[in-house]
Amino acid sequence: MSESAPKPVVRVDDLRVTFPTMDGDVRAVDGLSFEVPAGGGLGIVGESGSGKSVTSLALMGLHRGSRARITGAIEVAGRDVVSATDRQLRAMRGDDIAMVFQDPMQSLHPQYTIGDQLVEALRVHRPQASRAEALARAVGALDRVGIPSPARRVNSYPHEFSGGMRQRVVIAMGLMCDPKVLLADEPTTALDVTVQARILDLLDELRRDLGMALILVSHDLAVVAGSVDEVVVMRHGVAVERGDVRTVLSAPGHPYTQALLAAVPRVEVSRAQRRARDRSERAGGADRGGREGGSGSGAVAGATAAGRPAPEGAAAPAAGTPGEQGREVLLRVRGVGRRFKVRGGPWGRSTDFWAVKDVGFDLYKGETLGIVGESGSGKSTLSRMVMRLLEPTEGTIEFEGRDITRIAERRMRPLRRDVQMVFQNPYSSLNPRVTVGDAIGTALRVQGERDTGSIRTRVRELLERVGLEPGHYNRFPHAFSGGQRQRIAIARALILKPKLIICDEPVSALDVSTQDQVLRLLSELQDDFGLTYIFVAHDLAVVRQVSDRVAVMRKGEVVELGDSDAIYENPQSDYTRRLLNAAPVLDPDQARHLRAERVRERAEGA
Amino acid sequence: MPTYILRRLGAGLLLLAVVTMVTFAIFYVVPKWAGRTTEQLATMYVGRAPTPEAIQATIDRLGLDKPVIVQFGEFVRGIFFGAQYRFGRDTIDCAAPCFGYSFQTYQEVFPEIVSRLPVTFSLALGAGIIWLVGGIAVGVVSAVWKGSVFDRVAMAIALAGVSLPIFFTGLLVLAFPVHAWGWFLTPGYVPLTRDPAGWAAGLFLPWITLAFLHAAMYARQTRAGMLEVLGEDYIRTARAKGLSERKVVLKHALRPTLTPIVTIFGLDLGLVLGGAVLTEQVFSLNGIGRYAVNAITQSDLPVILGVTLFGAFFIVLCNLVVDLLYPLIDPRVRVR
Repeated sequence: MSESAPKPVVRVDDLRVTFPTMDGDVRAVDGLSFEVPAGGGLGIVGESGSGKSVTSLALMGLHRGSRARITGAIEVAGRDVVSATDRQLRAMRGDDIAMVFQDPMQSLHPQYTIGDQLVEALRVHRPQASRAEALARAVGALDRVGIPSPARRVNSYPHEFSGGMRQRVVIAMGLMCDPKVLLADEPTTALDVTVQARILDLLDELRRDLGMALILVSHDLAVVAGSVDEVVVMRHGVAVERGDVRTVLSAPGHPYTQALLAAVPRVEVSRAQRRARDRSERAGGADRGGREGGSGSGAVAGATAAGRPAPEGAAAPAAGTPGEQGREVLLRVRGVGRRFKVRGGPWGRSTDFWAVKDVGFDLYKGETLGIVGESGSGKSTLSRMVMRLLEPTEGTIEFEGRDITRIAERRMRPLRRDVQMVFQNPYSSLNPRVTVGDAIGTALRVQGERDTGSIRTRVRELLERVGLEPGHYNRFPHAFSGGQRQRIAIARALILKPKLIICDEPVSALDVSTQDQVLRLLSELQDDFGLTYIFVAHDLAVVRQVSDRVAVMRKGEVVELGDSDAIYENPQSDYTRRLLNAAPVLDPDQARHLRAERVRERAEGA
Repeated sequence: MPTYILRRLGAGLLLLAVVTMVTFAIFYVVPKWAGRTTEQLATMYVGRAPTPEAIQATIDRLGLDKPVIVQFGEFVRGIFFGAQYRFGRDTIDCAAPCFGYSFQTYQEVFPEIVSRLPVTFSLALGAGIIWLVGGIAVGVVSAVWKGSVFDRVAMAIALAGVSLPIFFTGLLVLAFPVHAWGWFLTPGYVPLTRDPAGWAAGLFLPWITLAFLHAAMYARQTRAGMLEVLGEDYIRTARAKGLSERKVVLKHALRPTLTPIVTIFGLDLGLVLGGAVLTEQVFSLNGIGRYAVNAITQSDLPVILGVTLFGAFFIVLCNLVVDLLYPLIDPRVRVR
């Protein structure tokens, strides 16, 4: 609107998308307007259910044939998407506007070579191009997005590429017709931090070099920060804030944007700072958590204030960093490794693959050890070995001075109550046919508790403690949001009063604001019950804020282990430094600076 | 790749060996466990008047008094090297793939099966093509126009097709188009080499009847698979490229849908090649299935054994072909 000279390449005016349902109409997008100038960059940010993906599908006209009703105006490269014929719409897709999707593992056809798929993208719109020409162009596009030896790889199938490489292929497919706009819907959500950084750098580079406009849709403000000029913040289908990315991020006007920004975990915030903040808010009984659906947030504060008698076996609330006094070792891991046999050699022979090799550490009572690493780094294998869900191939694991590496399952069972786990995906880790109360109470029953009445009482108390209502006992998991389900999972882990809880990516499936609430809950519970945590995650910022010490893993090995602040402020290994440089930051200028540094490093490395 | 082929081949051969052993055991060992004496067993195999001499001759000829292992060994040797049976002064020379002789007709089993193969082959292949193409076509259209009148009617008919047995649909077909309305001549088999038109005309109704049952199943499978694939992310990618709906469906969605269909087709075709029992019986086609039915009613053990092994052979063969085709259909199966 401010720039009047060039005609915008994308213009959305008062867009409304409505889905008729049995309970009446659901308005997924309500009165959204924005413009993107040629070569411009726009970020659309919002949590799940904000309508951002519905918007991006509407831009492509991909709602055709569904029940969605669309009103308002969408113009892409001068063409009215809402009123265009199907044929006009097809002519636009891929030629004027290309789309990159969230999950690169699913968005390429598994049965055609990537060459075929790229060639097809060109020849739909340029039927006069010969196959050879198209193929040459495909090789060029693959080269452009950084696929090594593109002339050979063009004949490969998608399954022969890693996730990051597949996303590059999808981007290359988008480039085939030189579109005016590239629409990327959560293009890096399924990828590791370093890969995410590379893909974002690539998108930025393409935008600059080819003069293509970029619309970047994400749930993560930090992902958008360094790559766009303008940002739209959406909530419940409404754009609550829209403006220059610097202004929105440094001086957000709308309370929702402020809350969202406050909830984003930042790498530069240390555990001590975060705890200090949480504690002061807790003492003040500050209002919080209203975002997650209202119920229960008051109960958290209430239960804590009432000073519920500390359960047996729980240490007195730890004060300060637990590292200082009486460093009692809870878990000792020495030289642990795990080998898997990988089939598929010639004549069906298998080869060895070490998912974890020679890992050792001590875990002290009351502390939190963070384990960070990218996918395939062995962090989940390691945590499952500590749980004895997997048997280590070599090395020893001692729990409270007792070697549990190879003891019989029968003798392991009483120890199981002391070590509990909270899993990543709260949508699949709870049995949908078991009520919440039963899911939590089962563990007690398994461990020999017979009195149904006392199980009930304890489950209700615990539900209240994790911020849910005792009355939720008889509900089924589907009645709860992701954050609430993760609270249920935490309650299930807590019911046996464990000494150690292993959290395997406990918040990575959650929206930022919900993430923040769950992290707070975990930290409060640690204070109240004297818990020890192993916190496994790929998100560097989250790990820093919850961990006293951090282990950085790569390819099954610990590359760096030590005090969390020391590692974050003064990383010793190259890999840790690369990880930190790749982590998205909220400040657009710092983001650009880090990007420049990454590009320089890559140039040197190449 | 050669490893893959060799492994599949080995597995197929092993399977055949096991089937041979189990079938042999069912016919020659289980009756003994059930308390039959060698004499009672031989009585069944004599064929005509069971005089004590005839029974004794049968025992000698078939080696029924020998240990089971030896009997099995002779049976297997017969398959590879042939066997001889003595009838008093006469001998029957049973050539290389020898599965014994019929106790009823004193004909060797293998040549009998081979002579009936063209009938069963013609029936199975013709019907197979019809049900494969028809079922897939109906399934695709139903999936694309989900909820339409076509979809509902087709799926209702498909449900009927799955539920109605062949002896019902077959008799219906014979009763109305053939006898009542006289649209078709009574179905029958004419060798393809002698009269191609007559071959097709004579087999048309059996084909339709046999195909109807399977086509119904394939239509339902295709529809379900297609609907699932149409919800995949890569279909959205294909649409986002600007491809026409026709290309999206026929190129991008159909191929993944066909992958599991090819697997069941291999199984079904193998099954029918081993004898489309009901269809052959209803339409009086003299194929392997009918041969088997007659043998069963007359307890003609060598014939039953031979037909069973033949059926197993076709199922194993068709599966092997499917296994070998699979890497061509789905590149993810290809072994590096």
